[in-house]
Amino acid sequence: MSPEFGELVPLALTFESLTDVDFWISVGVLAGIYAIVALGLQVNTGFTGIVNFGAAGFMAIGAYSMAILVLEVGLSFWVSLPLAMLITMLFGAIVGLPSLRLRADYFAIATIAMAEMVRLFAQNARGLTGGNQGIFCADDDPSNCYANSWRDVSDSINGVVENFWSDPATLFPLLLVIWATVGIATVALIYLQKSPWGRVLRAIREDEDAARALGKNTLLFKLQSLAIAALLGAFGGFFLALNLATLHPIDFEPLITFFAFSVLVLGGLANYKGVFVGAILFWFVIEATRFIELPDPPFTETRIAALRLAITGLLLIGLMAFRPQGLFGKRQEMVLGE
Amino acid sequence: MASERTGKEADSSQQTSRNGAVLQIEELFKHFGGIRAVNGATFRVAPKTITALIGPNGAGKTTLFNVVTGFYRGDRGSVAFDGDQVFGQPPYELARRGMVRTFQITKALAAMPVIDNMMLAAPEQPGERFRNLLLRPGAVRAREREVRQQAMELLEVFNLTELADDYAGTLSGGQRKLLELARALMAEPKLLLLDEPMAGINPTLGARLLDHMERLRRERGVTFLFIEHDMEVVMNHSDRVVVMAEGRVIAEGEPHEVRNDRRVIDAYLGETVIDTVHGERLSQ
Repeated sequence: MSPEFGELVPLALTFESLTDVDFWISVGVLAGIYAIVALGLQVNTGFTGIVNFGAAGFMAIGAYSMAILVLEVGLSFWVSLPLAMLITMLFGAIVGLPSLRLRADYFAIATIAMAEMVRLFAQNARGLTGGNQGIFCADDDPSNCYANSWRDVSDSINGVVENFWSDPATLFPLLLVIWATVGIATVALIYLQKSPWGRVLRAIREDEDAARALGKNTLLFKLQSLAIAALLGAFGGFFLALNLATLHPIDFEPLITFFAFSVLVLGGLANYKGVFVGAILFWFVIEATRFIELPDPPFTETRIAALRLAITGLLLIGLMAFRPQGLFGKRQEMVLGE
Repeated sequence: MASERTGKEADSSQQTSRNGAVLQIEELFKHFGGIRAVNGATFRVAPKTITALIGPNGAGKTTLFNVVTGFYRGDRGSVAFDGDQVFGQPPYELARRGMVRTFQITKALAAMPVIDNMMLAAPEQPGERFRNLLLRPGAVRAREREVRQQAMELLEVFNLTELADDYAGTLSGGQRKLLELARALMAEPKLLLLDEPMAGINPTLGARLLDHMERLRRERGVTFLFIEHDMEVVMNHSDRVVVMAEGRVIAEGEPHEVRNDRRVIDAYLGETVIDTVHGERLSQ
């Protein structure tokens, strides 16, 4: 290819990066984290009909609780994890108790407010969360970091993996654990969804008054649904914390929630299979557009970063126009549900 | 009559209140701002009767239903069901006690199959609790089988068997009314409150619905309280009629007594008593 020809082509993608193992592992890690969070949103929005825009808040509560319990309280990582799950579920229930009595759209607003309160709290409670500096290792003991225990596990997993793959990627064990979690969560949720419990959730989605008239304590079921989303959010938060190795309030901006929602609508509502296909597709597009090469100027790095989101947004709009039920959603359920 | 019945149905009909009424409403009030929708309504419903609740538009019939079934919080008054004071209890609690209602606009759970609509309504399902799903999966499965069988039997009665796996949203208006009644029966009611069960369905289906009501009363001892505007239906198919106007009960009695009551005729002023009136003001 002559250099002149290269200058004439305004847009170029380097496809070599797509064959890179590290690229796929990082897509897989992000997709897995968002799949876990979106599974929770699926329980809420897809199956209970409560629009929860607070996913980032649950992730933050989970991640920060874990880090604070390890670094400030001095508990072991393995004790902190279940405690942080409990804290997040409890938090979900406390948030839900007043707000789930609101109409669907007001509930959605209340959940955004909740998530933002959590983030702003993390930003300002410097003594506890490190504020914008973030939280990583204990102040008095820089060798005590929240991710230490995970690193040990990660190293021993890679120790085994080395038998098959000479130089395993550092993130490979995280990828394995994340997708194992996705798998277990999906199986559990499908079981729940097919149970009488899941039937009540769907009835609430269709018509809450009808469910109440038939003897169902709908508030209790909605609280349980929210607590499940909180639990899955906490898992998402843990994995995000381990992937980043340091926690900042900026990691829990509302954008995170909307990414998770994009994954949800891409895959389709009321369907668990769609969640992970949606997650992989979404993060593939986000990460692959990283490799768009355009002449600079006028395409500076920040402009290209904005362009990546614009392209992702266009793809989502296109999907909504041509396949509003998402990839795996049922068109009939969507139409009848209205 | 009691000898015909067995099991649950028999004991449900025995549990009527001390004074013999399934439902006793006294001095019930509910206002919205300055409008007194229910303004001291008082009446009782005797067991195993079909009682019609009539009245001109805006008389407060649907509001009364909503207060009695716990969907609205009443201002004050007394609602005794089966001898227990239930005023102010939440809808799900009342439904569990056996007071089940339907709505003026049918609430078929559209994006759920007909069979799921039915199975949902069954009481005492262990599978609605996490603990049981985890620890007693056998009990959950056993109850599911039982509930499914019961649901299929009822669908058979209502000629909905072939539609069992269809989404409820694909049913016709009349079929939805039948489904709603069948579903309410799955909840094992002692008292069924039906808000305009005949509205918007064709006369043939309406007649079938009435037959069902009469048979359920006869065979299962279910008590009915229904709001209705079609006077022909009210006169021919109810044992007692309660007439409301402006939030109060103005007359009560057997159909022929009510028909000739001066106050009732006055309340309907401008409307012929033998007439079908659709749609309601103020009632939602």
